[in-house]
Amino acid sequence: MTLEQLLADTFPVLQDIQQTDLAQLQQEKDWQSKYRILMQLGKKLPPVPEKMKQPHLLVKGCESRAWLMHYHDKVADKHFFVLDSDARIVKGLMAIMLCLVNGMSSAELAKFDLCHKFDQLNLKPYLSQSRGNGLTAMAERIKACC
Amino acid sequence: MPGFDVQQFRQQFAFFQHHPDWVYLDNAATMHKPQAVVQAELEFYQINNSNVHRGAHQLSQQATAMFEQARSSIASYLNAARVHEVIFTSGATAALNQLAFGLMHTVLQPGDRILLTQLEHHANIVPWQLHCQRHGVIIDVVPLTPDHSLDLQAYQDLLALGPKVVSFSHISNVLGHIQPVAQMVALAKAAGAVTVIDGAQGVVYQQPDMQQLDCDFYVFSGHKLYGPTGIGVLYGKTTALQLLTPLLGGGEMIEQVSFVNTTFNKLPFRLEAGTPNIAGAVGLAAAIHWLQKFNNKQLQQHKAELLREFYQGLSHLKAVDILSSPVHNAGIVALNVDTEHPADVAELLNQQQVAVRAGQHCAMPLFSRLQLPGAVRFSFAAYNTLDDVNRSLLALEQAIEILTA
Repeated sequence: MTLEQLLADTFPVLQDIQQTDLAQLQQEKDWQSKYRILMQLGKKLPPVPEKMKQPHLLVKGCESRAWLMHYHDKVADKHFFVLDSDARIVKGLMAIMLCLVNGMSSAELAKFDLCHKFDQLNLKPYLSQSRGNGLTAMAERIKACC
Repeated sequence: MPGFDVQQFRQQFAFFQHHPDWVYLDNAATMHKPQAVVQAELEFYQINNSNVHRGAHQLSQQATAMFEQARSSIASYLNAARVHEVIFTSGATAALNQLAFGLMHTVLQPGDRILLTQLEHHANIVPWQLHCQRHGVIIDVVPLTPDHSLDLQAYQDLLALGPKVVSFSHISNVLGHIQPVAQMVALAKAAGAVTVIDGAQGVVYQQPDMQQLDCDFYVFSGHKLYGPTGIGVLYGKTTALQLLTPLLGGGEMIEQVSFVNTTFNKLPFRLEAGTPNIAGAVGLAAAIHWLQKFNNKQLQQHKAELLREFYQGLSHLKAVDILSSPVHNAGIVALNVDTEHPADVAELLNQQQVAVRAGQHCAMPLFSRLQLPGAVRFSFAAYNTLDDVNRSLLALEQAIEILTA
């Protein structure tokens, strides 16, 4: 498995999450259904092979670990990401973060307000609930890519 | 003596009136405070606030008297031989840092050994590492048996190597197992070691009797004994405390200062640099006074009943892997759901307003030995009820259903 393959496999999944799952997540009324969807999102992403989970890619949460890989297509000025986490709910939430920024240009990424967007999607409670779950750290890492 | 009335006991905690919908099972992290403690701290600030040991005025003398009265109450609770054997610290972590720093050179020389156990949390590992590495002191670790108890045979074999200091926890903060501390202290003393007990989880389980236990040092945090955060105790025998080099300098701990030499004050002040947490000490003494109104045996029996019910309920749930033994357990159950990450289990419990802790509980070496990424920890206190047990079991069942669907 190479980074190129992972990027190629991840990109359509993130697109799909943005186009279909986000809307479905919004529609669900009870927390059980929302969480079932979040966990499904994590499952959809291709797993990153253990060998590729290098320490410098690690985004630390208090309780779980996540890995973020990033590729900047300089010619087209587009940013692409690959993600994995050992916790499923966190992975689902991080997948939502990534689908929002997937394919953005440097300028778009720089001015993108992840917290504000999460708020609009009624996902803010997940961000602020536990600063320890690594979502804030992931948001900072994503922003640092541009 | 009349039976223990948990509702009456629970009513003394305003926190539960503010959060009637929550099941709080994160007591090993911190406990809630009865009104008596909140009131004592409030009154100290409202009525008695002044600095201690230094004011030229009557108000300072009154505050000093309260502070020293708190020390005396705690010394009496611990059955310490002398009141000055109670040193106030900010908590168990600060106390262990003082010990690791303070025993270097006086007790521990380069090439010497100390002995810790596989069960320790980071506060009883890292301070020793920090100073042992710098001073060339070797750390040995007592391993666990397959049922996650301390291997006492290995303990004796390691004691034969002649460690100068042995430090272990009274109760494991992850598994809840009660260690045979009296036996371990006796063996360590016979081997000539200075003994340190980390009582962070132990002090609320059992009123520790220092003269009976006969350890050199015992440390704990107030907030795990119904008291305030930011206050803790380093108990030491007088002769043992005299071996300690002060970690912090300044304030009340000195006698004479010049740029050539400084001489230190007597115990306990020698080890209490700076303005202490006066209100915290008063609050902790209030917690102990309040706790002594109850029969600890009844409190522990109530907790044991909760634990029995919890284990009973767990036995009906599928996919649960329990790490804690129900035998010799002080009220902590660590578990996992199949191969699910503990953070996911805890988040699904959180959604159902059940407060637990997930992760490695500041005990990474233990989880590395167990070969697990962590665990979900349910920790019970005497103010928990059977309803708490049932609700947490239902919530866990729901979490399992969502995770394994």
